[in-house]
Amino acid sequence: MADLQHFDVAIIGGGPAGQAAAVALSGHGLSIAVIDEQPRPGGQILRQPPARFAVQAWLEGRSYAPLKQLLARFQALSGITWLGEHSVIGVQQGSVMAMGPEGVTTISARHILIAAGCQDLAVPVSGWTLPGVYAAGGIQAFLKGQQLLVGSRVLLAGTHPLQLLIAAQIVAAGGTVAAVMFAQPRSAMIGALTKHPLAALRRAPDLLATAGALRTLARAGTPVLFGAKIEALTGNDRVSGAITNQGQVACDAVGLCYGFVPQSAVPRMAGAQMKPAGPAGGWACVHDEWMRTSVPGIAAAGEAVGVAGAAAAAAGGSLAGIAIALDLGLIDADAADRAARQPRRALLQHRAFAALLDAAADPTDHFPKPAGDTIICRCEDVDHATLTGQVSAGGSANAIKLATRCGMGACQGRNCEPSLLRMIAETGPGSDPGFTARFPARQVSIADLLPPE
Amino acid sequence: MSADRIIHGVVRGEPITIIVDGEPLACFAGETVAAAMLAAGVDAFRSDRRGKPRGLFCNMGSCYECQVTLVASGRRVRACLTQAVDAMEVVTRG
Amino acid sequence: MERADVAIIGGGLVGCAAAWQLARKGASVVLIEAGDINAGASGQNAGSLHFQIERRFLENGDDLAEQGAQIVALSRHAVTDWATIEGDLAADLHVAMDGGLMVAETAEQVALLERKAARESHEGLAVRTLDGEQARTIAPYLSPGILAANFSADEGHADPRAVTPALADAARREGASVRTATRVRTIERDAGRFRVEGEGLALSADQLLVAAGAWSTEICALVNIHMPLYPVALLMNATERTAPMVPHLVQHVGRRLSLKQTHAGNLLIGGGWPSRLAQTPNGGFDLSARAQMIPESLTGNLLAARDVVPGVTQLNLIRSWTGVTAISSDQLPIVGPVPRVPGLWVAAGGSAFTLGLTFARMLADAMTGGDADELALLSPARFEHLNGFMG
Repeated sequence: MADLQHFDVAIIGGGPAGQAAAVALSGHGLSIAVIDEQPRPGGQILRQPPARFAVQAWLEGRSYAPLKQLLARFQALSGITWLGEHSVIGVQQGSVMAMGPEGVTTISARHILIAAGCQDLAVPVSGWTLPGVYAAGGIQAFLKGQQLLVGSRVLLAGTHPLQLLIAAQIVAAGGTVAAVMFAQPRSAMIGALTKHPLAALRRAPDLLATAGALRTLARAGTPVLFGAKIEALTGNDRVSGAITNQGQVACDAVGLCYGFVPQSAVPRMAGAQMKPAGPAGGWACVHDEWMRTSVPGIAAAGEAVGVAGAAAAAAGGSLAGIAIALDLGLIDADAADRAARQPRRALLQHRAFAALLDAAADPTDHFPKPAGDTIICRCEDVDHATLTGQVSAGGSANAIKLATRCGMGACQGRNCEPSLLRMIAETGPGSDPGFTARFPARQVSIADLLPPE
Repeated sequence: MSADRIIHGVVRGEPITIIVDGEPLACFAGETVAAAMLAAGVDAFRSDRRGKPRGLFCNMGSCYECQVTLVASGRRVRACLTQAVDAMEVVTRG
Repeated sequence: MERADVAIIGGGLVGCAAAWQLARKGASVVLIEAGDINAGASGQNAGSLHFQIERRFLENGDDLAEQGAQIVALSRHAVTDWATIEGDLAADLHVAMDGGLMVAETAEQVALLERKAARESHEGLAVRTLDGEQARTIAPYLSPGILAANFSADEGHADPRAVTPALADAARREGASVRTATRVRTIERDAGRFRVEGEGLALSADQLLVAAGAWSTEICALVNIHMPLYPVALLMNATERTAPMVPHLVQHVGRRLSLKQTHAGNLLIGGGWPSRLAQTPNGGFDLSARAQMIPESLTGNLLAARDVVPGVTQLNLIRSWTGVTAISSDQLPIVGPVPRVPGLWVAAGGSAFTLGLTFARMLADAMTGGDADELALLSPARFEHLNGFMG
C-alpha cells in the first residue's frame, strides 16, 4: 500500500458540488484534496476535453456559462491538491482510500465531502448488451470530452428531457440522430410543466435551452416522438436497429435516457443513512440542513443527495463548504448563517425545478418490458427469467444476489440494482434496502494494496 | 461502423499508435483507449458467457464493460478512464 | 396452536440439513429463520471443505492440538457426506474435492506439518507430506518460497451460495415447513414441550434444535440457558474471475490463509482475519449492524496470499466482506442435547460448513431415537457447569 497523506478536507468529486465546496472553503489556509476519476475537474456536466486537445466553442450554451465560471474560479484556487485519475475505493470516518496511476493512497482528513455525482439509470431491454448501445450520458461525455460521435445515426430513447439536449449536441457536431423517442405521452410531460409554472419560470435558461434544442432538431429534420416505446434493440455483432411500437428504426448507436441515479457506493460503504432517491430509483444520502450525513465528519452534496442538476449541486456544495468551515471553527454561527442564505435559497429553487423535471421525466410506467432472456445483470449474465423466479419466491435483494450472482460482478451491482429493486417492489411492499455495499467501491489491483515485494 | 472524430474546431494531440489485441491502431495523444478503439471501429471489449460481444456502456467508469488488460503491467483497467500513450499495448477479453 | 415434532431455529446449513434429514425420517418439522435462508455464515463463508487439522488448533499448544485431532474422526464422515450430497439432493452444488494443500514457509512450520500429519494418520485421515518441489509439481501456482505441504486428496470446496438453499428446497420437498422473516420472540416450556412464539408464529414442538450460528446464545437465553459462544467477524475477499488457476484448497499451517478458485473463476481469499464487530450503545456487540473492515486484516490476508500464490497480484480485488460466525470457549463446536433441558438440542460454534452435513445427519439420528456417540466430543454437556443455576 502506498503512502498516507494528511489533509484538512477531502472532497470526493470535482464536479460543481465539489468545486463550490472548495471555493467556499478557500481563504482559510486549509489543505484540501479533491479526488476525481477524470484527469481534469468539471464533473460529467463539464467533462473537459483532454489537456492535449484545443477545442473551439466548447459548451457554449447559455446554461453552461455559470458552471464554467465556477470551474474557472475552482481552477484558480490555491491550496488545492487535485487528485485526478483517482478512484475512491473505501471511505471510513476520517479516511479515504483511493487508487491512482501510482497505486493506492490513504488520505486522512478531518472532514470528508462526498460529491461523487450520478450515473445514468441502466435500463434493460432486449438487445441492450449489443455493442453500440450506450447510456445516453456516455454518448454525451464522448461529445464533450473526447470530441467523438459514437455513431453515424444515433437513436435516443427514454423518458428524460436531457435526450433532447444530447440530440441537439450530436446534430450541432455534424452527426445524425435517427429519432428522439420519449416513451411517455407528450401530455404527461406538458402536464408536469404546467403544474409548476413558477418553478419552471425560475429556470428559464434551461427551458430555453430545451426550446433551442427542439429548434435545432426541427431544422435537421430529426423526429421527436412521444409515446414511442423501445421493444427490442437488434443487430448481430453490434446494434443496427430498434423495434418500437411505432415501427422499426435503423441506427448504428443507441443512447438510453431514462434518468439518473446517485453514485451511492461510497456513502453506503461509509454507513451513511440513505433514502430512495426518486422516481428513477437509486439511493440518496440523508443529510441535515448543513449537508452533514448521518456519519460524523462526512458530508454530502450534489447528486449524492438526490439528482437535482448542476445548479443545485453547486448550491449544495457551497452550503457544505460553509458548514465544514463552521465545524472547523473557522467562522462563527452568524457568519455561517449569513453566508448560507444565498445558497440555501438557490438550493430550494433548483430542487423545485428538479422535482418538476422528475415528474416530467418519470420513467416508472414507461420502462421497456424485458424478455425472459434479457440480461439484467450485465457483469454476471443473469437474465430476467432467472430473477423473476427468485423475486416471486420472496427473496431480498441480498438473498437474490447470493442465489444468482446478480450484482456480484465487476460493477458491484451499480447497473442491475435498480432493475432488481423495481422487480421486488412490484411484488411486495418495496422497502428492500438493496445490496449491502462492499469494499472496494471500485475494483483494485491486489498488487496495489500491498507493499512492494 | 466506427465512431467519428469531430474535426471542425478541434485540434488533438500528436498522432500516436497503440496496439490492441496485437493490431496497431492510430490515434491521438489525449484520447482515451476507449475513444481510440471506437474511432477505429473496435467496439467489442469482451465476450459474455453466451459468446456475444459486449461494448462499452457508460463511458464514466461505472459499468466495467470496457475493461482491458495493459500488457506491460498485467493490470486490468477501464479503457474509458485510461489515456492512450504511444506504443501502449492492450488486450481485450474478446 | 400449531404442533410439530421438531422446531428448528436457524435457516443456515445445519438447520436446513437437519430439517431435510428429520423430515426424511418422517418427523414433522418447522424451520424458523429470522431473515432469509442462507443469510448468515452459511452463505457468507468461503466454502472450504477442509479436513486437515485447522491451524487454529495447532497454534495454542499440544492440548488443543490433541483436541483438534479428535475432530478428524468427524471429518472422515464429512468426506463421505460431501461426496454424496449432490446425488442425494439432485442438485449442482459445485462440490469440488480435488485435494487440499496446507503449506509451510519456514523450517518450524515444516516440523508442525509433520507433527500434524502424524496426528492425522493416527486418526485415520490420509495426508501426505510433500516437499516444496513435489508440491509445486501438483500445484505449479505455488511460490518458490513454499518449503513443504501436507496434501489431503479429499479436500476442496463447495458453493456456499448453492448448498443451503438446495437443502432448504429438499427439506420442503420432504414436507418440512420453512418460515423465513420470522423472528422468535419467546420460548416457553410447557408440559415437556417447547412453545415457540414470534410474529405470525405460535408453535408447540416436542423437540427444539437451535442452529442459529452467532445468534444461538440469544436463542438459548430465551430458554434460560447459557451457551458459551462468542461472535467473531471474519474477513473474506474475492478477486475478479480468471482462467482456471488453482484447482485445490490452499491453506497455511502458520499463517491465516485459505485460498481457492470458485466454479465461476473468482479466487476467494480468507483464513480467519478479523473484522471489527459493531457495538451497541450500551456496550456489547451488535450483530445486526455491519462489522467494519480492519485495513491491517486486508493487507495481512492479501500478503499471505501473495507469498503462497504469487499470481494473485495480477488480479483485481472486487469484493471484501465479513461473515459473522461464533466460536465456543474451547474452540470446538457445540453439537448435541443440552442435559439441563430435555428435548433441547444445539448445533453452533463454527466448522459448520465442512462438518455441517455431518452434524445434521448425526443430530437427526439422535433426535429420532438413535445415539449421539459420535458427537460426544462436541456435546453441550461439557458446559453443563455453566447451567447449574439455569434452566
